[in-house]
Amino acid sequence: MKKLMLVVERDLRMFMQYKFLIIMRTIWFASQIAFFGLIASRMVVPDLADVYFEYYVAGVVIMMLYSASVFIGYDIFEEAEHGVFEYLLSLPVSRKELVLGRSIGGGIRSFIFVGPIAAIALLIIGLANPLNLLIAFSALFLFAFGVSGMSITIAVALKSSDRFDILMGVLNAFIIRLSTTMYPHSFVQDANQIYAAITRINPVTFASDLFRWGVGIEKYLTVTPMPIAAIIGLAIFFFTFVFIGVTVYERRLEGGGWQ
Amino acid sequence: MPESIIRTIDLTKRFEDLIAVNHLNLSIEDGEIFGLLGPNGAGKTTTVLMLTTVIKPTEGSAVVGGYDVKEHPDDVRKLIGICFQEPKILWVSTPWDVLNWHAKVCGLSTQERKTRVKEVLESLNMWEHRHKKVHGLSGGMRKRIEIAKILIQRPKIAFIDEPTAQIDVIGKHKIWNMIRELRESGSTIILATNELYEADILSNRVGIMHEGKLLVCDTPKTLKDSILGGDSVEIRLENEVNQNVLEKLKAFHEVVDVISTNPNNLRVYLNKAEEVVPDIMKLFLKHNVPITSIHMSEPSLDDVFIHYTGSTIEEAEKEKPLRRRT
Repeated sequence: MKKLMLVVERDLRMFMQYKFLIIMRTIWFASQIAFFGLIASRMVVPDLADVYFEYYVAGVVIMMLYSASVFIGYDIFEEAEHGVFEYLLSLPVSRKELVLGRSIGGGIRSFIFVGPIAAIALLIIGLANPLNLLIAFSALFLFAFGVSGMSITIAVALKSSDRFDILMGVLNAFIIRLSTTMYPHSFVQDANQIYAAITRINPVTFASDLFRWGVGIEKYLTVTPMPIAAIIGLAIFFFTFVFIGVTVYERRLEGGGWQ
Repeated sequence: MPESIIRTIDLTKRFEDLIAVNHLNLSIEDGEIFGLLGPNGAGKTTTVLMLTTVIKPTEGSAVVGGYDVKEHPDDVRKLIGICFQEPKILWVSTPWDVLNWHAKVCGLSTQERKTRVKEVLESLNMWEHRHKKVHGLSGGMRKRIEIAKILIQRPKIAFIDEPTAQIDVIGKHKIWNMIRELRESGSTIILATNELYEADILSNRVGIMHEGKLLVCDTPKTLKDSILGGDSVEIRLENEVNQNVLEKLKAFHEVVDVISTNPNNLRVYLNKAEEVVPDIMKLFLKHNVPITSIHMSEPSLDDVFIHYTGSTIEEAEKEKPLRRRT
């Protein structure tokens, strides 16, 4: 456990080095709600404009959490370039502790990053039930750890920073668009049944629903019963990618071939 | 019989068509400095990476500190420490952060950590640079951080790959002394290097690797003595030597050849010069041929390498043949 926490500590320290990235992402968040959110919410019927704005702000928080959790995959390439992998693999830390520690480290640092953004979102939306929010945040850790595990797994499996960058862009397009971050599930269902089926099992939908449930926007939730169904969905997502991550990490790391 | 702390049996590593290490059989004794010698591409680093569980062997087995590297890699990693050939440090880190975290993960207590990190950084003249970002440090400084990891850790088994690459002459001597101190503190040291002089002065035993195979393994002295006529003695005489003395000189069992470079000068090629020279001096004095000067030279590990591979280490590095799967 101590070793695992040291792996987490290392990733947190590394993240603090990326001040420029943190500032830019925060500006991105501000522009999303100040421009896109405000303007796009005028496109819905006037009575629901404010409701959609709050719905969208909650969705953007989850989008930010997702993209911050993905960032650890880029660190993997930085480490490959400097040979840090070999160093990590030679340490008295088991492979499971290493992958789990990195997933958790990636998740926690994305929470640190998203924390102030979530606070702004709470100011905009308000807070109905603090206990619900606490439960939601606890479960969102699983989401962040799972996304970090997924990012590590894909980075190590591809071993190419260019391909990783492109794939994550495409994956981002699918996983965010086919989720309820930006629009309620009922609209997805109206558009296409297959899209709706994918959206229902998308971990980003679980995360978005949980956060909205936590802040009290319960009208447009996809997954029921809340919060159990969403928490189970996120737990499956987390364990799947940690297990795959450990396997892929061990098999793919040796032998070079990094691009 | 000294106890083996590392033993490999037919240890082999293939990377697709390349056989990086080819059926390596090696035994390293507890408490020794073992020099793994060979040109770049000989398979030294791949061997080190297999023994430290960073990569898995394709075939064969290796037992490190009593644990099989394939079966019990976690136990192996508790015993070992490694100084990599190229410093494995992210450029945004600082030496202090890198070493402090390394000491923590290797299980040093807070007090031990603070003391050792400071001691080692001071010894390596890196204390004042401890909070600088790595990208602002020279190659030699980065290498010092890499070696500092192992000096702080003091592992039971230390793997040190090219410890003085990019280090200046004064720094080299300092690091050599620190490696000796590490051994004295109880570590077994595996020194992978292509610097023959470094291997010669530090190692208790040396294994020469070439094209993935271990060619020979013994003490530096035994390896040098294994070259017939490898020692040479240059003898300058007051008078011209007569044929009778020359014949008696050639009759020594250890003498391989005698060349008269001029009437008063002889060059003798022989084995175990340090044992035979007193007898040679007695021979000349007995026959009333005073010696003006005598100069002995023994073969270096360069000569040993040439003897076993047919080329110098520099030539071997230039060749770097691809070792195809057979």
